[in-house]
Amino acid sequence: MDERLVAEFSRLIGPEHVLREPIKLLTYECDALPHLRQTPALVVLPGSAAEVQAVVRLCSREGVPFVPRGHGTGLSGGALPVPGGVVISLARLNRVLEIDIANRRVTVEPGVTNLEITRQVAPYGYYYAPDPSSQQVCSIGGNVAENSGGAHCLKYGFTVHHVLAVEAVLPNGELVQIGSPLPDAPGPDLLGVLVGSEGTLAVVTKVVVRILRKPESVQTLLAAFNSISEAGAAVSDIIGAGIIPAAVEMMDAVAIRAAEAAVHPNFPPADTILIVELDGPASEVRELFAVVEEICRKDGATTVEVAADESQRARIWKGRKAAFAAMGRISPNYYVQDGVVPRTRLPEVLGRIAALSQRSGLPIGNVFHAGDGNLHPLICYDERIPGQAQLAEEVAGEILTYCVEAGGSITGEHGVGADKKDYMPRMFSDDDLDAMQQLRDAIDPDRLCNPGKVLPTPRLCGEVPGPYRQHPVEAAGLAERF
Amino acid sequence: MVAASMRAGTAADAIDGVVPRQVAEPADGQELAATLLAAARATHATVLRGGGTKLGWGRPPAAIDLVVSTSRLTSVFVHRHGDLTATAHAGLTLAQVNRELAKHGQWLPIDSAFDEATIGGIIATNDSGPVRHRFGTPRDLLIGVTLALADGRVVKAGGHVVKNVAGYDLGKLASGSFGTLGAIVDATFKLLPIPQASATIDASYDDGEALARDVMQVSASQLEPMAFEMWLEGSRYRLRLLFASSPAAVSAQVESAQRMLSRPSSVLTGDSEFALWKDHVRLPWAGTGAVIRFGWLPARLAEVISMIQDVQRIGGPVVMAGRVGVGAGVMRVEGDVRSQAAVVERLRSSVLVGNVVVLRAAPELKQQVDVWGPPGSAAGAVLAIRRMFDPAGILNAGRGPV
Repeated sequence: MDERLVAEFSRLIGPEHVLREPIKLLTYECDALPHLRQTPALVVLPGSAAEVQAVVRLCSREGVPFVPRGHGTGLSGGALPVPGGVVISLARLNRVLEIDIANRRVTVEPGVTNLEITRQVAPYGYYYAPDPSSQQVCSIGGNVAENSGGAHCLKYGFTVHHVLAVEAVLPNGELVQIGSPLPDAPGPDLLGVLVGSEGTLAVVTKVVVRILRKPESVQTLLAAFNSISEAGAAVSDIIGAGIIPAAVEMMDAVAIRAAEAAVHPNFPPADTILIVELDGPASEVRELFAVVEEICRKDGATTVEVAADESQRARIWKGRKAAFAAMGRISPNYYVQDGVVPRTRLPEVLGRIAALSQRSGLPIGNVFHAGDGNLHPLICYDERIPGQAQLAEEVAGEILTYCVEAGGSITGEHGVGADKKDYMPRMFSDDDLDAMQQLRDAIDPDRLCNPGKVLPTPRLCGEVPGPYRQHPVEAAGLAERF
Repeated sequence: MVAASMRAGTAADAIDGVVPRQVAEPADGQELAATLLAAARATHATVLRGGGTKLGWGRPPAAIDLVVSTSRLTSVFVHRHGDLTATAHAGLTLAQVNRELAKHGQWLPIDSAFDEATIGGIIATNDSGPVRHRFGTPRDLLIGVTLALADGRVVKAGGHVVKNVAGYDLGKLASGSFGTLGAIVDATFKLLPIPQASATIDASYDDGEALARDVMQVSASQLEPMAFEMWLEGSRYRLRLLFASSPAAVSAQVESAQRMLSRPSSVLTGDSEFALWKDHVRLPWAGTGAVIRFGWLPARLAEVISMIQDVQRIGGPVVMAGRVGVGAGVMRVEGDVRSQAAVVERLRSSVLVGNVVVLRAAPELKQQVDVWGPPGSAAGAVLAIRRMFDPAGILNAGRGPV
């Protein structure tokens, strides 16, 4: 990046907040999807919305692509830098601006962590509902970008259901408020589009979230089964009984073994375990929990362990939430996908995944949100063995195909990012993708805001959106689609 | 690609007294898209119509060349009860859909004041009622959508799984768009099981401050009502709490809520409960007065009530139903157009309420006040999206909100 520009960024936000030394740029080469890496030309760390706006304006004026970044915990390469581009880290925008218990809302800057919101309001008996496994470290700005979910979204929904309004800098440098702290702002739900747009439509500088009253009662059980189909039947029967649990999580033998090795949650030896949590008024939880317990036993649970207190409950969740990281204990490397299938198709798709594991020779652990059909196959491989990393990626792609064939989605909560954009045509037609590109071009006509994410990139730079036409560069034989 | 056949518009098709030149009733999404494309090419001012129950919402049209009705889009209905999802054609009514879903003990938890409200219209207006307290507005339940665009294409976004972050959520964009970006062909929702039991507490107040204090008590408690409403008529008030869950949980919550309230209350179940909520949702729409929607911060309810007493000094007695947990209300103002306009101005000048939108009004009132109110700071971005999807500017015939 030329000196003039670097000097201008330094003038805008202070030279100490502009990083260009290779050693400092290393941190920003990737997010939590480490196999995709790119060194940015520059990293800037603005300290206020006004500074974010100044940075984006400069990028816009100079035609420099920029990538917003929260705390880098994303699992789809959504914060992967762009060659020659600027990474805008929101880490310094980390203030809690307002806690309004009476109106059940909290206003924060995007660099505040997810769990910090709950920490701030817990003394008053409230919490922030979306709880991605990375909640201790992930930023709320990143949650907005990815529309993060978590184990409890079956009952409580995703980030999009809990964000009331944001302040954001649009790619043209305009600072706007999207959504409204009051209900029923007229017009199309732009906020609903922005949440989950993976940092491609705006850089969020302030977020207003709603908080919930802590439920009166929470009950958690862990049931062990001899097969995934028995556990699956229990989930169907629970939902069929008209019960929407706060969470329903399943882990298979590989994942159980990994969790045991890592954090010793003392899970029973089983082919499959099911974690079911109910919350709400004590009378409701008491009445329905008995039904859930009975269903688990009827469907073949070998043991049903009910958490007697908060520490037992915490232990169960620790085992579940540590499952990803725990894979490191049993495999040198792993690759995780988060495809979704309609819940009723879980047994069939899990069967196909087991067969694929056999065929490829790569162990696959499954830890997933069974209530909403969101899989998390953990594909184990060893990158030191030539070809295995490649094989793991192919296996992951195959699993996504199974999900789409079953009527599901390629991603339930991790986002498309740079990782899965080439799978988008498996789910969407060219027309669907073109309409999405049109939306993006309406907001970011210069295509500078986190380019190369979400939508497949064969669309050449400068191409006019709409039905496929041959690009002049293609016609001249200088480029081709792949 | 063949556009739908047309018939001439009649007085029954009029919007704010403006009779459309033609009316089209396409048979499917492709025909709908082709009809929009033909209208865009001819720059025909076009209005999309579902059940026609909220068709008057919006600015008064100068002229309408074409009304495109979804009345024939009624054949698609898929209920995946094991997955708690359903897909419905835009022209099906919410009532029809809920009748079908009930066969498997499930429902789409959205209230409408209007029997004929369609799935497409409910999304396009993002209209909601008391149960939004627990389930949110239609946008919160929508998981997939098919849209017919003005360039003749039929596109989809989302899907039919409840958890899905692949691609931009065009369904959200359609929510509240009033048909300014495209036409809804079908929609997929997540569903809920119909609760086993329900009961409603109805308490009466003659003092707004006492009502507001009780509302704050309930809000701060761990009670989990499905609907949490106030009713205001002149200077009389009611507080209504709907509990729906397992039978024992309903009785326990009713009992503890009754203990919490400062006024005696009655408990309704069965037919009388059903009738109460039907009236609660419909009565703001009775009569011929202007109906205004607005929002407030929930904790400022006492001040909002006191302001509404002021409003009644300007515009005469009002009827209002309010979602006190979220801070959202609809109010009917009778009286002449001048006093109705004064009420709108009074609300818009208040710092206590916001998003003041005039939903139902005589054309004369709509000439005096902008029904949508001042645009937000992101209006430019929304307009850019509109220009991208409707470059000819035909959709909803300049009636807004974009």
